[in-house]
Amino acid sequence: MKKLLSLAVLAALAACEPSAPPDPYDVSKMDFTSKAAKVTAEGHKGAFAEGAALSMGAELKRLDAAPVKTVRLDTTHKVIEIAPGVKFSAWTFGDQVPGPTVRARVGDKIRFVMTNRSDEPAPVPQLVAAPMMHSMDFHAAMVSPQDKYRSIAPGQTIEFEFTANYPGIFMYHCGTPMILEHIASGMYGAVIVEPRGGYPTKADREYVVVQSEFYVKPSPGKQKVDGGPLYVLDGERLRAAQPTHTVFNGRHNGMVVNPLAAKPGERVRMFVLNVGPSKTSSFHVVGTIFDRVWMEGNPDNQMRGMQTVLLGSSNSAIVEYLIPEEGSYIMVDHHFANASQGAIGLVSTSAKPPAQDLEHHNMQASATPTDPDAVAGKQAFESKCLACHSVGGGRKLGPDVAGVTKRRDPAWLARWLKEPEKMLQTDPAAKAMLKEYNNLPMPNQSLSEAEIKQYLKYFQWIDAQPPGALKTQASGH
Amino acid sequence: MKASLLSAALLCLGGEAAACGYCVEDKIAATYDHAVVSRALQRGQHLAFFHVEGAEPRPEATRRALEDAASMPGVEKASVRISPDLLTLSLAFDPQRVSLAAIIERLDRRLSARKLSVLPLRIMQRPADLTSVKR
Repeated sequence: MKKLLSLAVLAALAACEPSAPPDPYDVSKMDFTSKAAKVTAEGHKGAFAEGAALSMGAELKRLDAAPVKTVRLDTTHKVIEIAPGVKFSAWTFGDQVPGPTVRARVGDKIRFVMTNRSDEPAPVPQLVAAPMMHSMDFHAAMVSPQDKYRSIAPGQTIEFEFTANYPGIFMYHCGTPMILEHIASGMYGAVIVEPRGGYPTKADREYVVVQSEFYVKPSPGKQKVDGGPLYVLDGERLRAAQPTHTVFNGRHNGMVVNPLAAKPGERVRMFVLNVGPSKTSSFHVVGTIFDRVWMEGNPDNQMRGMQTVLLGSSNSAIVEYLIPEEGSYIMVDHHFANASQGAIGLVSTSAKPPAQDLEHHNMQASATPTDPDAVAGKQAFESKCLACHSVGGGRKLGPDVAGVTKRRDPAWLARWLKEPEKMLQTDPAAKAMLKEYNNLPMPNQSLSEAEIKQYLKYFQWIDAQPPGALKTQASGH
Repeated sequence: MKASLLSAALLCLGGEAAACGYCVEDKIAATYDHAVVSRALQRGQHLAFFHVEGAEPRPEATRRALEDAASMPGVEKASVRISPDLLTLSLAFDPQRVSLAAIIERLDRRLSARKLSVLPLRIMQRPADLTSVKR
């Protein structure tokens, strides 16, 4: 009887013991199901990147709470500036290099759509690569590559979805042969997947830093952009893994010119991804020590008190560190040959916070029209005209469009947009403008009447803004 | 042998995937030339993309053999694109003058002496529309 009682007590005690925490890597709880990818001939004319889960620049937006993240990243060909005066004929996701960062949480579903818009007309077509096939390879996904990562032709759209099963910082890139060329031309970005319960620390600042290499040479055709040479991919250097530029976030010394902000005493969480395509990164921040390093962005892979983190191509890490006092803390690839090529940036206590809610095209946030025609005109202008025209930033290859509705009447502008080549034959003002702008004619964009109306609405909206309301916009296509 | 396995895998999977890890579409991307595609479709021509089986050890010899074999009435010579690395051939043809079946038959016949053959992957009859080839 005594024995029985003892056993009963032991059984009751065992029942009261807390059960083991659930295994976050229990594959039976992961979701490996996904519908077949859908490829259509439907195009898309709106923004090149869409989705509440996207961050366009170094500063990361907070996690969007929605369990399904709908993300659009269209492919484009455009000229980007990777260093002062180095304008490179790039291929992009979301019309920027690196592509926007996707942020999600373990268990979230990513619903992805991509239109191959490499065939969209550029203002100066000879400056961008010919349209070609592209694809998307998400390292964050566990899916059939033959189904989801298939290449699509210009004008096609692919849609597929996947569930984020593991936490981490994952690369995405174009996987169309030759993959090396597609990555080296700018087709990459990051997906951040937070642990289901979030991170174990509280950070004051969150930034993403993507390291990559460029391999460029002046275009053999000697094309010019803004008076300087156009740079194109150097295949020989690429295959020999001899980059001309190694950069953070797509720009030589970019975060030296525009440092990231932090205050003394703050904890900075930095999501670092080395996309290569061919070099390692020895990521280091001068003046501090990494309190925590979570290799591959997963807190279960933790190291403490590290000076440098070594990242191979497509490796990543979250590094967290404290800002001990006022100063500028220097991010470098401590492989200094890479740092000397531009892989350098600052986290500075005197930096101004970056602008919030950056728009696509790498532009600063600016005032936006509300009239639907003006909105459509703005989108069209930003995708087709920014290489040659600024909005309030002065003359480029062509005139500044700010004030254009005050300089020209609407009928003249409509004719100019519709048939610039005819105007150049007959109209004295058009002839004078051609002469003033180095005989560089405005290309005929084959605009419809409706599109011309949208452009004019947008130009009228620009000229109705108070002085200084519009910021200078960087070049696009 | 490797090419035979690839061909078998392509057939088993209904033309969806290649055993070497390259998607069918990636093979197509290797010879996709947008200027050729745009010009051909404007003229009412069709584009055909082929996997090449049994490549010769010398890529240049394979290229020459394919160029020679693809020279036939109804096929636009200037449209022929070849990727010896990814074993892909593409061409534009006038469907009023020659059928895809006839092209395949002639290619296989002309290439047989070199132990090469072709497997159609996709055909494009309209912009942005790559469709499977039913045999």
